[in-house]
Amino acid sequence: MGRGKPLESPVQSCLDSMGISLLSEWDVLAFVYRHRASLASSDHIARLIGYESTVVRAALERLESENLIERSRPSKGVRFYRILASTDPGRQRCLQQIVSLSETRAGRLLLATRLKPNGSNRDEKNNRIS
Amino acid sequence: MSKDGLIKTGIEGLDDILLGGIPRTNVVLLQGVTGSGKTLMGLELIYKGIVEYNEPGIIVVFETSPNKLIRDAAGFGWNLDELQDQKKLQIVFTTPQVFDQELRTADSLLLETANEMGAQRIFVDGIGLLNRDPGGTNPEGGGYRELLQQLIESLNRENLTAILSLELGGAPGSMATVEMTDFLADTVIQLGRERKGRRIQRSLEVLKSRGQDYDSGEHTMQIRGGKGLQIFRRVQAPSRASSKQPTSSTMRSVIGVEAVDTLIGGGIFDGSTTMVVGISGVGKTVLGTQILREGALKQKTRGLLISLDEHPAQIIRNAQTLGLNLEEQVADGTIQILFESPQELDVDAHYARIIKLIEEHDIKRMVIDGMTSYSTAIGEIAVYRDFVHAIVAYSKQRLMTSFFNYENPEFLGVSSYMPDFPLSSIVDNLILMSLVEINNSLHRCISVVKSRGSKHSFDTREFVIGQGGISLVPLERNLVPPLPLQGYSSLLSRAPTRFSGAKRINGAAAVQDQE
Repeated sequence: MGRGKPLESPVQSCLDSMGISLLSEWDVLAFVYRHRASLASSDHIARLIGYESTVVRAALERLESENLIERSRPSKGVRFYRILASTDPGRQRCLQQIVSLSETRAGRLLLATRLKPNGSNRDEKNNRIS
Repeated sequence: MSKDGLIKTGIEGLDDILLGGIPRTNVVLLQGVTGSGKTLMGLELIYKGIVEYNEPGIIVVFETSPNKLIRDAAGFGWNLDELQDQKKLQIVFTTPQVFDQELRTADSLLLETANEMGAQRIFVDGIGLLNRDPGGTNPEGGGYRELLQQLIESLNRENLTAILSLELGGAPGSMATVEMTDFLADTVIQLGRERKGRRIQRSLEVLKSRGQDYDSGEHTMQIRGGKGLQIFRRVQAPSRASSKQPTSSTMRSVIGVEAVDTLIGGGIFDGSTTMVVGISGVGKTVLGTQILREGALKQKTRGLLISLDEHPAQIIRNAQTLGLNLEEQVADGTIQILFESPQELDVDAHYARIIKLIEEHDIKRMVIDGMTSYSTAIGEIAVYRDFVHAIVAYSKQRLMTSFFNYENPEFLGVSSYMPDFPLSSIVDNLILMSLVEINNSLHRCISVVKSRGSKHSFDTREFVIGQGGISLVPLERNLVPPLPLQGYSSLLSRAPTRFSGAKRINGAAAVQDQE
């Protein structure tokens, strides 16, 4: 754990800068990132990543409000979901770092410790971090 | 797009087989078993369309992760990320259900995107996944067929050339899916992956293509690391010469090798084909080397030596020991040497490389050393025969003078020129190089047993291999003790008979006083 400690602070700061506090938000962001341009409904994404539809819908909204993803207009419940290229190089770098981190088991475990499980109350989480 | 309404695939060799490309807006079906290269071909069709013909494209995937597609493409040097940033490519991950729904929707997001980016090609990987009833248990039926028709309709409406991949497998009802898709598609390309011995051979066959002619039959497909796909036309496919060419000439050229020119009557016709038959070690390779070198030095003709047995360095070294310096000719390109290992010889690819070399270097003289290795390497007699016929026909079409060395397995005398595959009837000239046992030593002999259109000698002459290559032993100073060759009969049989008191009458051996 001692060797992991120096990483924790930058990771937390990256997650904070991106406005991600829930594990489900990260999982949805990672899905959209991996698939570049997904033509799907929130229900489809939920089935593919194993979450409740309501959780995924909330995550998608949060990610869009944080300007991390873009959604096209809906067409019969389906939208294009794409990663939104950030104009902020620091934020872009953060996204790359977290993606790289999540490619290892140790990194995923670290993220799991820094993010609240799905369905948790956002305020509680914020309280915990502060 | 070309003027003839064809779109180029950009895949090396495929446009030749399709006689220029695929008619625009044709629905192209790529079908094959797992690992046959369907996804790679679809990917390359899109990539080449963008970078070589400025035709933006869309790739729709259901099963493959776009990231993996991007990674795999990078292995061929194709930067898909860059093309996506430039809005020339869009990789779309979706599900068959969403795709199905999209095709039925008037305000389809996918087609809207295609329109916005000016896409002209679309590749849908795994069209079979759209069939929700592969077992055909739905009594209503028609669902998949209807969906395909909708797909084709919507893509045609957008002026998109659609490339669809379909997995061929043993799933129940898959044949019905294949037949239905084959029927609706305009162009059907079947990719094969077959085990040949312990190696894998990939193939490509155009099963149909509406609105165009194409080269039928099974062609060879190879995946080249760092480059992509390459298709090699099957060797026996009829050549498609752009203009009529003469296949024979009345021009006669000296070979430059005394042993051959003397016996064959001063030279052979340009564009003729010659088979040189003899056992291993008799001097066929030396003769071939000499023919090419003399051609390059004295006739100023460019030559090609093809070998499945010896590396170029070894050929050059061996020639050097006889004072035949090939290094200069190889260095200045007047002689080309093509070596390929017989272990994994792909005959279509090999043939294509020969043709490329001939055309690039304007080869006029060719020596294949030797045919027996092809027989072993190719294995299938029908494919071997196709290869030989193709190379002979091509050689004649270009009026090249070609020599084919054939290693006859018989040590002393021959009972058949070419026991494994009789080719002697398709060549113009036949030269026999033999070992003859006289007293207790072996002697090398050469005979011309056939030369179409030429008055050639039927004498069997002794030759020696020394500095400068092959040279005939002068008749007057024949070294064979105690009688010259004319003193023997049945030299080509396994037991020559010796006579005494032989003398020459009008240049022919006359036999007297049999012992």
